[in-house]
Amino acid sequence: MNNLIRELRAERGWSQAELAQQLDVSRQTINAIETGKYDPSLPLAFKIARLFGMPIEMIFVPGEE
Amino acid sequence: MPRFSLKQYQSRVLIAMAIYTAFMLLVWPLVNKTTSLSLKAILAVAATLPVLYVIAQMARLIRNSDELERHTHLVALSTATAVVGALTFIGGFLAAAGVVKLDGSALLFVYPAVVLCYGLVRWRLVRSYGGNSLCEEGGITPYLYLVLFGVVLMLVALLYPGSPDDARRSFLYGGAAGMIVFGGVPIIKLWYRRKYRHGQE
Repeated sequence: MNNLIRELRAERGWSQAELAQQLDVSRQTINAIETGKYDPSLPLAFKIARLFGMPIEMIFVPGEE
Repeated sequence: MPRFSLKQYQSRVLIAMAIYTAFMLLVWPLVNKTTSLSLKAILAVAATLPVLYVIAQMARLIRNSDELERHTHLVALSTATAVVGALTFIGGFLAAAGVVKLDGSALLFVYPAVVLCYGLVRWRLVRSYGGNSLCEEGGITPYLYLVLFGVVLMLVALLYPGSPDDARRSFLYGGAAGMIVFGGVPIIKLWYRRKYRHGQE
């Protein structure tokens, strides 16, 4: 699954650590999500969508099967 | 309430292991000298208390982890349990068949083997998610503590009374060398990385 978290974070001028703090997760988890190495759970995905004020399907895009 | 950090966990584990080492050096030798069975039992159970405390802290760390951290902890723990469980099962049958000689003290190696296997699997998993143990919350501090603890243990081994061939002294030397190597290698790696980065700037 691809996502726009890195771009959205950069737009807001947040570091990975700052975003991690706001989502109550570790910086490594943010890094793994941004690089597409880890797909977040549905509750965390909704939390991310709520934080960026966007629908979940605008942030997370299904990758090639 | 702030999260239970990796740094807090590591410092508590190091203190508990220091207490455990001190207990094994100073109190454990009394086990063989006492004739009272109840006192032997108390001393034997007391030796496990710091390790039980470490297990409780580990459970707390996992409970307070985020979802990816919890995933890596649980995969590593289940892999370690399966590997060590299989090895002890094989070892048990070999001992029962009389192929190898194992006494009850072989059970002492089960928990360290689980921890070692867990550590290796988790290190591999964290790397696969793009992480690095040196970038984790605890940073380099726990490795420095480990080296320091290894140096103290080495001094204790040098000053330990008894013959130079004493098995306990050899155990201390081995433990100290292991700590210095396991703590020193990541510190050297980080030092090289920083030096390389500064060289590029």
